[in-house]
Amino acid sequence: MHTSSKLTKEFTKKWVKGLQICCSSKKNMDVLERKKKIKLCADIALASAKNATTSWSIALISEAKKEGENEILVDNLLGPESPFKQQKTIPLMSACHKRVRSKKILKRSCSVGQRMKKMGPPKSNLAIYIAKTLVKKRTQVLQRLVPGGESMDEFSLIKEALDYILSLRVQVDVMRSLAHAAEVSNQSDPNVFG
Amino acid sequence: MFTTHSRLDAVKPDPGMDAYWAGLDGGAFGDQLGYGYINPNTNQRLLTLGNSTSVSVSVSVSPKKRKGQSLQVVSDKEKKIKGCSEGESRTTNQNSNSKEASTNTSSKEKSKVSEVQKPDYIHVRARRGQATDSHSLAERVRREKISERMKYLQDLVPGCNKITGKAGMLDEIINYVQSLQKQVEFLSMKLATVNPGLDFNVDNVFTKEIFQTSTSEFPALGCSSVDSAYYQLNSTDQVVSYCGLDMGINSAEMGLRRGISAPISVPETFMDSSCFNQIQPTANWDADLQNLYKMEFEQVTLIPFQSHQFTGSNEGSNMKTET
Repeated sequence: MHTSSKLTKEFTKKWVKGLQICCSSKKNMDVLERKKKIKLCADIALASAKNATTSWSIALISEAKKEGENEILVDNLLGPESPFKQQKTIPLMSACHKRVRSKKILKRSCSVGQRMKKMGPPKSNLAIYIAKTLVKKRTQVLQRLVPGGESMDEFSLIKEALDYILSLRVQVDVMRSLAHAAEVSNQSDPNVFG
Repeated sequence: MFTTHSRLDAVKPDPGMDAYWAGLDGGAFGDQLGYGYINPNTNQRLLTLGNSTSVSVSVSVSPKKRKGQSLQVVSDKEKKIKGCSEGESRTTNQNSNSKEASTNTSSKEKSKVSEVQKPDYIHVRARRGQATDSHSLAERVRREKISERMKYLQDLVPGCNKITGKAGMLDEIINYVQSLQKQVEFLSMKLATVNPGLDFNVDNVFTKEIFQTSTSEFPALGCSSVDSAYYQLNSTDQVVSYCGLDMGINSAEMGLRRGISAPISVPETFMDSSCFNQIQPTANWDADLQNLYKMEFEQVTLIPFQSHQFTGSNEGSNMKTET
């Protein structure tokens, strides 16, 4: 839990910094835009607080960078940190894609065995087959949820999901407390934001 | 090939199993035909070990090099596997010993041993998970890793203690991740609506929180004695009421703070309020709170360096700079 408190600090620092940057640029934004900006800042801050130790954070940052307007924000947030630079993400992604491709070939060739297996005595085979299918479906869903999860094998996916859950919890806690604080301040001093 | 098949049929393997192995091996392990295949040249025997979930295939001696290698792997693996029945271990020893032997003798031994194996083989028929040794070994390692992670996940994801299966655990994980992501969305929307002038007011909000939490109890920041008192206060459930106390006490001081626009130690002392709020939901933060506050108070001294936008001589700013 010590790491989570450290992560909290890092995240909050970066998030506030990002909010300042992005909100100072545009004064008039509608709610949805603002919400998007806030969320984006939060996500990027969270990912950068990880310092490129996890692949989901790298994937998150590279996803955010794809949109041109966010790039400035991202670069400002990340500062001089090199681990998130583009060059690092590309080889990582290509390696992952290669792995995914080879895994797909593997799966295709294994499916033959699967089909033949199904023809055997149905009892234990079918149960195992069903169990495996369930697990497979769920891992697919999880892959879609965790950023950058498509190019991960099962084990690292679980590891990344673990880390992602921890970071999401930190994010939610910080955001919740900020919202609460803002609410309280709003209630006590409604003139403040006038 | 089919002679051995027939023999195996006599010992009642799953015919699908062999095919499965064949398919698996053919698909996955191109060059390792010696492992899973019923080799026509040699008398192969499917050796299953009693308590393990993996199946090892023992390959008889053949002039081909890879068969020899596979045999070695088999014997190695079988040494590693615990819970082998005696007969099986005997056969594995025989296998490893027969590596140098001629094919005739080995086949004779095999035929003997396979008959010995028959009853064991029938017993453990259901226990087949993997096709070949090195792969099943790798599979087992992989599975152990995954189960280890699953256990850790059980602690992390609330309400996962009762679920044991992998699919159920994954389900819970998915639900939890989805709910957390939705919470983030909701909170960002809430923040967007609550603060119409969010941009510069973020600082204001933060500074208010800072002074609420820091000024009320700590006239002299950085005092270790005060810190220790603070820690003691934090570790109890009084924190929530403490938070309310903060608001009450500092309502008078808020007028003073309003003028501050600088992000004074925004992240560090913001932690105070955040941790206060968090004590309710996450009970396991207590242990870390003390560390957190320690860090923060250490960093309070760094604040003057960080806040270069300092304007005015407010109490708070003076407090910070003094330390």
